[in-house]
Amino acid sequence: MDYLYDGTFEGLLTCIYCHYKEAAASGIYLASNYQQTIINNYKVINTDIKKAQIVSNAIKKISGEAYIEVYYCYLSNACNKENIILDFLIFAFKYGKKTMNFYTHEKVLPLKEISLKVTKEVDKFLGILRFSDIGGILFTRFSPDNDLLILLIGHFADRYKYEKFIIYDERRNKAAVYGNNFWEIKENIYIENLEYSQNEKMIQKLWKQYFTDLAIKERTNVNLQFQFVPARYRKNMTEFKNL
Amino acid sequence: MKDIMFKKLKILSDAAKYDVSCVSSGVERKSNTVAGIGSASSAGICHTWTADGRCISLLKILLTNDCVYDCGYCVNRVTNSIERASFTPEEVAELTIQFYRRNYIEGLFLSSAVKNNPDYTMENICGVLEILRYKYNFWGYVHVKVIPGASPLLVQRSGMLADRMSVNIELPTRKSLRILAPQKKIENIISPMSLINNEITGTLEDKKHFRNTPRFVPGGQSTQMIIGATPESDSTILALSQNLYERFNMKRVFFSAYIPVNSSPMLPAVSTMPPLLREHRLYQADWLMRFYYFRSEELFTENNKNLDLEFDPKMMYALRNIDKFPVEINRASYEELLRIPGLGVKSAQRIIKERKNAELSYDSLKKMKTVLKRARYFITVNGKYYGNIKFEPEAIKEKIRQKEMQKQLSIFKLL
Repeated sequence: MDYLYDGTFEGLLTCIYCHYKEAAASGIYLASNYQQTIINNYKVINTDIKKAQIVSNAIKKISGEAYIEVYYCYLSNACNKENIILDFLIFAFKYGKKTMNFYTHEKVLPLKEISLKVTKEVDKFLGILRFSDIGGILFTRFSPDNDLLILLIGHFADRYKYEKFIIYDERRNKAAVYGNNFWEIKENIYIENLEYSQNEKMIQKLWKQYFTDLAIKERTNVNLQFQFVPARYRKNMTEFKNL
Repeated sequence: MKDIMFKKLKILSDAAKYDVSCVSSGVERKSNTVAGIGSASSAGICHTWTADGRCISLLKILLTNDCVYDCGYCVNRVTNSIERASFTPEEVAELTIQFYRRNYIEGLFLSSAVKNNPDYTMENICGVLEILRYKYNFWGYVHVKVIPGASPLLVQRSGMLADRMSVNIELPTRKSLRILAPQKKIENIISPMSLINNEITGTLEDKKHFRNTPRFVPGGQSTQMIIGATPESDSTILALSQNLYERFNMKRVFFSAYIPVNSSPMLPAVSTMPPLLREHRLYQADWLMRFYYFRSEELFTENNKNLDLEFDPKMMYALRNIDKFPVEINRASYEELLRIPGLGVKSAQRIIKERKNAELSYDSLKKMKTVLKRARYFITVNGKYYGNIKFEPEAIKEKIRQKEMQKQLSIFKLL
């Protein structure tokens, strides 16, 4: 039986619940992308917060680390992530607390690799997001490979506690909005390029000039720079733009 | 902000770019403990990378490049005819805040030439700290330089507000310092170092008794020296850094390959290339001392006082002590694993964790992403040696050279 879920983390966990309580799952897929085959039956699972809660508590009992790895994997853009999570959890519920020691096991390694990719992208974007001041509100747009919004917001909500800011994911058309110690994520938002004020333009130029001057000519190593800041990230970074 | 800022920033960032340290790590501070803007992350965050591949984490500038000293290796020395500029403390603070709000930087790294006298300069540096911390309520990362010869009271006042402080030792020996930087006294460099160290250990002791003791320089202190301007050997340099780590609990000792900026009979010619590979090897050795339980003496022999430029220091150590290898992956202790060339801290930890479940095979090492390029010649897995060559230093060297050649050839084919 193939289970179809609605794309939320709770939906995915509900599928895991059904795998144990109803019929064993042959696979979990996103309902909107599912391709029906002759061999497999399928069932659309309705998200049930209570059932999801039971599963999430069970995962946390294995270890906090396991829960984080599963959640990070869910946020990734890997095409087969649901089944990797399913395989991992079947393995993990069997081995309990020892699970995370099996780094190279075929059920654990894929999950680890995906969540590592997500972690790395989060770390990168903590540094390379560029805000601009638009009428007192800080605004930034970015297009990450994985769905990072929820992992980034906490860091910036803490750092810019008394500011208001918007982080806009232009690939997924959603935005995190923060103000007055409160944040939320809004879906289906479209934001065009915005106009910068004179003062904002000046500070951007100042930054770009600083960035350009700081390179030491005698040590130029552009390949190394590309390793750290791949070209696909550069279009939203002030210092790589034509100002 | 006015247009004059462009010019000032150009001059003063240009003068500061040779400073190596740009780390923002070592301090974890959430903003819920303080009111205002900013936080610090203990792992540090890199914000961008310049065309030379170095990361920018902090806004690295000089307060002024108007210097009264005449150090041979420095662009800003008084006898050079270059453009001079100075920031006021308020300007630096505002620039930092404006950059910080836009997530360009993680904080400020403030250094300075010695204007008028050490006390005057240090007071200005302290002024920047006070404006940032008290007026703007800024709690991001701040690293300041201590000016040798400044009054201990000023050092202490800055230390209460800064996250990291550093006093540059500049050159590895007293003799070199006397020749190239006659106005800098080694005593003036050492005494603030020990002052900072005493304060740090003192406040840590107090913290055991009083929960709210303010931390003194929570990120610790670091220092920097110039490599290749003077004739010291690598073994002198590393023995000195080991000494600094032990005596003053330094967080880091930075090396900076000398880039010829002045012509002088005492210095390498202006056309010499900076010794970048040597700098790289020194950093590798520095890592061995800090994370791999090596002593600096182990890296050198009686007749070779410099690090090998062809192979990395750990590899050379293994080749000299070939009787201690090969190491059995399934039984070696953590310290022994760390001594295998090409094997890092992370791989060693993974091996320890993973072999609790089952004996490791060569394949599982590969799956663990252990880099076996060099390690394979120095290990056995379940008693089997996977090097496929004679276990002799010369044979191993030759094999690795061949591999390098093949790699280069295949790149040419692609072209």
